[in-house]
Amino acid sequence: MASVAAGYLPILLFLGVALVLSSAFVFLPMLVGRLTGTHQPNPEKLAEYECGFPAFEDSRAQFDVRFYLIAILFIIFDLEAAFLYPWAVSLGGIGFVGWLSMMIFLVELAVGFIYAWKKGALEWE
Amino acid sequence: MSMTASLALTVPELILSVGALLLLLVAAFGGDGFARAIGWGAVALFAAAGFALTGPAGNGGPGFDGLYIADSFAAFAKLLIYIAAAVSVAVAPGFFARTGGGYRAEYPVLILLSGVGMGMMVSAGDLLTLYVGLELQSLSAYVLASFLRRDTRSAEAGLKYFVLGALASGILLYGISLLYGFTGTTLFAGISDSLAKGMGTGQMFGMVFVFAGLAFKISAVPFHMWTPDVYEGAPTPVTAFFASAPKVAGMALLLRVAIEAMGSGTDAWRQIVVFAALASTILGAVAAIGQTSMKRLLAYSSINNVGFALFGLAAGSAEGVAATMTYMAVYIAMTLGSFICVLQMRDRDGQPVETIASLSGLSRSRPGLAAAFAIFMFSLAGIPPLFGFWPKFLVFDALVRAGFWPLAMVGIATSVIGAFYYLKIVKTIYFDDPAPTPFAPAASKLEGGLITLAALAVSPLGYLAIPLLDATSMAAARALF
Repeated sequence: MASVAAGYLPILLFLGVALVLSSAFVFLPMLVGRLTGTHQPNPEKLAEYECGFPAFEDSRAQFDVRFYLIAILFIIFDLEAAFLYPWAVSLGGIGFVGWLSMMIFLVELAVGFIYAWKKGALEWE
Repeated sequence: MSMTASLALTVPELILSVGALLLLLVAAFGGDGFARAIGWGAVALFAAAGFALTGPAGNGGPGFDGLYIADSFAAFAKLLIYIAAAVSVAVAPGFFARTGGGYRAEYPVLILLSGVGMGMMVSAGDLLTLYVGLELQSLSAYVLASFLRRDTRSAEAGLKYFVLGALASGILLYGISLLYGFTGTTLFAGISDSLAKGMGTGQMFGMVFVFAGLAFKISAVPFHMWTPDVYEGAPTPVTAFFASAPKVAGMALLLRVAIEAMGSGTDAWRQIVVFAALASTILGAVAAIGQTSMKRLLAYSSINNVGFALFGLAAGSAEGVAATMTYMAVYIAMTLGSFICVLQMRDRDGQPVETIASLSGLSRSRPGLAAAFAIFMFSLAGIPPLFGFWPKFLVFDALVRAGFWPLAMVGIATSVIGAFYYLKIVKTIYFDDPAPTPFAPAASKLEGGLITLAALAVSPLGYLAIPLLDATSMAAARALF
């Protein structure tokens, strides 16, 4: 009997994953709602986190979207640098193909950079 | 195999990615004035990539030490993907022009990059190639869903798709990490060898999570919840794209993972596929009945169709896989045709309308469009003599041959339930009193031509293509076994 039941383990797991996911969508927001300022608010809960924006203001308040653009571009080039270091260290082992792959990557990144530049993402005013 | 020989296998992807980068530069320097030209450039690139499949890229075997596989299965799927993607690029400028601008040069570039990702998906021979391809396709799709960024519904669709898609990718990666941990390799061939020695609990967990992630990408029940909202909110050409090309890519990917990597664990994944297929056909048929929006209805219709296509995989045989690929081929003709018909639904001011009620009496104001709608709806319902009947027949035939006749019976019953809402649309078009506000007359020769082509493909004339379709889909399926 146990072996018959064990044969159906995959479908049980599959339905388990589906059930856990769908209940997470329902109950997680409720739980998070309990933890945040909307439930039993006090000044500390309602205060914005460090450098963040005030959370409970008129949603039409202006904020500067340029900071986000710069941050996104920064992350791309930050990751590029993080990628270049292990490549440079292991270049002797990976040979010409490794060198070529990185050059292709850099060209692609440069195309993206030119695009961002031409679109004016780097201009502050 | 040398690097050059491996690169020769990836010519379609090379054409698309280099072309996309060049077009991106044209877009950056030329601005949105070049948007239409870039669109046609993208269509030409898809044609070139499709043509490249006649070379070694069509049937050259594995490359890059097995990370990438260029077999006839991948070539068949890629051809369908390129056709669907090219159509979604071609119909877009007209739609955006009518809805008050918003067509930008990035649209064709994003679809091109998505095409590269889908090519990688169907040619993946390794779990990591699979993941990189899937992410490239998905990331482009998230941006495309919110392409009308000033439209709140479009922005909502993009955000929902992104959050749920990221979650699904997480589940998929978790499954991949489990498979890697318990088999010691990410290569499909290596996983297959490891599973042949018996499937342990850890490998089973990995398999279940991989299937859950992939079920999300093809919107099979129980991971379909994002589909109606995203399809309704996204701009209609983008919805047409979502319902066609990524579906083919996701389905082909699922077939390859199931057969090539986990072929020795067929009994384990068959339960999942059978459940997903049954649940998708039933939910797709029942939930569509109450819909009032045409796009939502077509979303449920696509869930329903994915269920039928999965029946072929449930059979687990080469005939079953061939039936699934034939199903996807006919499905993209039907679904693209239906969505281009939806593009034609607009009021006198040119604004798009999406309610099914607005279709009433269409047969008197636009008889041609009404006939096309009727052909697509009858074909989606699988009513002979239209061509939509043939792939359904093949799928059920494969099921019965593999001994799963109870499954085939349930499938046929859901097909009858599904026929109800397809026929309801035909009834609204032909027998209801004309709507007070008739549609604007046809404006685009291109859309008219594409609708005619799709309607001809799913008309009884499609049966002439059966020998060709059978031979190619069977060759494609044999490549996996």
